[in-house]
Amino acid sequence: MICWSCEKEAGGDPLCGSCGAPQPLDPAAGSDHFAVLSVERRHELDLSALEARYKDLSRKLHPDRFARADPRARRASLQRTVQLNEAWRALKDPVKRAEYLLELEGVKLATDDGGVRSGGVAASPALLMEILELREELGEARLAKDDARVARMGDVMRARAAQAMARVTEGLAGARTRERLEAVARELVALRYYRRFLDEVAAHDEARERERSAHG
Amino acid sequence: MAEALFQIAEPGQSRVKAPCTPGYSRAVGIDLGTTNSLVAMVQHGKPVCLADDAGGTLLPSVVHYAADGDVLVGAVARDRFAPVFPADTIASVKRFMGRGPRDAEATRKLTPHIFAPGGEGDGVVRFAVAGGRAVTPLEVSAEILAVLKARAEAALGAPLEGAVITVPAYFDDGQRQATRDAGRLAGLEVLRLLNEPTAAALAYGLDKGAEGTFAVFDLGGGTFDVSILKLEAGVFEVKATGGDSALGGDDFDRAIAGALLARLGLPPDAGGDRQLTRRILDAARALKERLTDAPEASLELVVDEGRRETLRLSRAEMEALVRPVLERCAPSVRRALRDAGVEASALAGVILVGGATRMPLVRRFVRELFGREPLADIDPDEVVALGAAVQADLLAGEGARADVLLLDVVPLSLGLETMGGVVEKLIHRNTTVPCGATQTFTTYADRQTGFDLHVLQGEREMVGECRSLARFKLSGIPPMPAGLARLEVTFMVDADGILRALAREQTTGLEASIEVKPSYGLAEGEVERMLLESFEHADEDVKMRLLAEQRVEAQRILAALDAAVADTPALLTDDDRRAISAARAALESAAARADAQAIRAAIEDLDRASKPFAERRMNRALDAGLRGKDVTAVEARVAETEPKADLRTRVDAHAGHKHR
Repeated sequence: MICWSCEKEAGGDPLCGSCGAPQPLDPAAGSDHFAVLSVERRHELDLSALEARYKDLSRKLHPDRFARADPRARRASLQRTVQLNEAWRALKDPVKRAEYLLELEGVKLATDDGGVRSGGVAASPALLMEILELREELGEARLAKDDARVARMGDVMRARAAQAMARVTEGLAGARTRERLEAVARELVALRYYRRFLDEVAAHDEARERERSAHG
Repeated sequence: MAEALFQIAEPGQSRVKAPCTPGYSRAVGIDLGTTNSLVAMVQHGKPVCLADDAGGTLLPSVVHYAADGDVLVGAVARDRFAPVFPADTIASVKRFMGRGPRDAEATRKLTPHIFAPGGEGDGVVRFAVAGGRAVTPLEVSAEILAVLKARAEAALGAPLEGAVITVPAYFDDGQRQATRDAGRLAGLEVLRLLNEPTAAALAYGLDKGAEGTFAVFDLGGGTFDVSILKLEAGVFEVKATGGDSALGGDDFDRAIAGALLARLGLPPDAGGDRQLTRRILDAARALKERLTDAPEASLELVVDEGRRETLRLSRAEMEALVRPVLERCAPSVRRALRDAGVEASALAGVILVGGATRMPLVRRFVRELFGREPLADIDPDEVVALGAAVQADLLAGEGARADVLLLDVVPLSLGLETMGGVVEKLIHRNTTVPCGATQTFTTYADRQTGFDLHVLQGEREMVGECRSLARFKLSGIPPMPAGLARLEVTFMVDADGILRALAREQTTGLEASIEVKPSYGLAEGEVERMLLESFEHADEDVKMRLLAEQRVEAQRILAALDAAVADTPALLTDDDRRAISAARAALESAAARADAQAIRAAIEDLDRASKPFAERRMNRALDAGLRGKDVTAVEARVAETEPKADLRTRVDAHAGHKHR
């Protein structure tokens, strides 16, 4: 790539190797979150090293560095920073990181809400039934304002999610056979439901807090 | 001002720099506050708040619109005009930024302002002010910003190159758009909108060399923010933010005012009496501020011409009134901690920001909430402007602090309406900005040829409970069975926290993209019209400003005099009457001419002519006021009372200032 600013060879980095101007994203190149942060494609990562890398890149690429620069530099800086923030967001969270690794390996998880339904690894009917019942039970506990029961259900679910997460890490550590990856995918699909359940527990706590402060 | 036009038309272009004070930054930080506004500038490497001619750094965020079109900003508007012309003198305008006329938070609280009836589909609050004008909050804010801009340019000795304006972290997209446009309208190049708690953390962190995870508790006049930040090696990373953009010291004042009205046997809306509403709100604030240091406070309130009441309030009574309002901060704090994944005990400190955090009750509340003593060793009024000045200096690229970086977040989730009125979130709250997200949607009905896209902001699942930001249409899609079309919607939030949305239909190769326009209620093109108008008036030089001020002053004196004469005609001798009437006519004719000096002289003549009358009125008022007062209070009042002013005006103005 030739740099738009100094018209010399820019090199492959986000900033031109010759003049330091931020380079626009190549739409054909696609983006790989691991490559954006220059780390190996694996699930087990040194988070603090990753964070240091993210902040170091932010310092160089952030729009604040180019607030009064040429509009092309500002646009490139914005694109690069959006991409960097997205990469950091996807990789810092172990669940999202695992999902992303599967995506790179060509294993799809079924999307289940909002957008377009797509094929891929989906939850088993047994799991769906179980979650449905658990959420019904949670709904009843919420309606009865039984805070202790809601908290208990939350604790049980958290433990279950932690176990599933451990299996995900293990599954992604060894050889990535199709079979192992699909087993990981099933755990991840289940984790989505666990997380949504835990979101509802948090929503309950929040609603109760609002109530208490409105009355207090 | 031609320079300002150039700056807006050609941002970031190099130009010949005008000479300016060496060592001063050419970009400033502005804290556009609910109660007070400030401007700060980095001078020789350190941020400094700039003072006005009288030496004060706080510019009261109060704007007076006079009948002849003149505009006055600051202490003069708050102290002299608000009591007499409450509807024409806009205070706490920040609460109305980016809000619609049907927004209960904005227009249905106790207020002395008059709201202009909006047209069909009019989404913005407008104040009806003198001269039959209707002004938007954006225009009112621009007046405040223009005064601060002038103050900064006087200090710099050259035109500014840009400004960073702070906004509450919890401001939504519409409120941010409105603030940025107010800056443009004031002729500023807005380099960045910066969240207030982040600005405070920046000033605090750099000043103290602090490291670790901090909470910023920012309770201002009209807004509450809480942010959790990690400070490490020059990077200020916001982990989570929360708050309430309609909760602040004003609400404390209203709670106190409500109790005072009830105690006086008056209806909760003060019977629609706007002057009384202004006086009772000012009295509530004055009592609240005195109770910061004293266990008890009292002041005299003029209820109407025949009735003066001494209001007494103890700190305990005041705190009982304020506490329920303050409690509304607690859930936001807990949620921010939860979102950040931090326990209160793991924080390195809690930083207090905003005038309301001076109250002992608020400090106690923060201590209980976080389980630790908050840090208050920086001025909570100035810290936000100081942080903004540092950021402005960084952005202007003249500072040598390449090590400092701010990473801020989206305060409220952004999403699209889907079938059944459910909001599908594309960007979740507390996502680091700038950020983007793309999601694919499809058609619901067979042969559907268009999409109605509705952009929303908020945390709730249902459309009705979120803030509507914009609606746009994508049409011209060929008829297809339901579910076949592929509509790709992209949201992009820039470093100011402002959203752009784009939609593109993919399957047919038909590409249509739409950018969401500023959508805080002003019709498209209206901001541009305001800008053009402001340039037309840009020739107005210092002389015009002086003339405007003298005219408004003349108007005020005449109104005050007439009120005094009507109030106590018996105190007027025949000599007074003749002298006053001649001087009054002279002032009226002077005010009609464009000579500021002549108006000033006529005001002084009228002042002399009415002096004996004013003194008699004051003596009488003092006799009345002596009952139940100690001598020092009376002496203080005598010292502050100018003979020329109408006493009623002065007493009430007194209740509204003198604090801090």
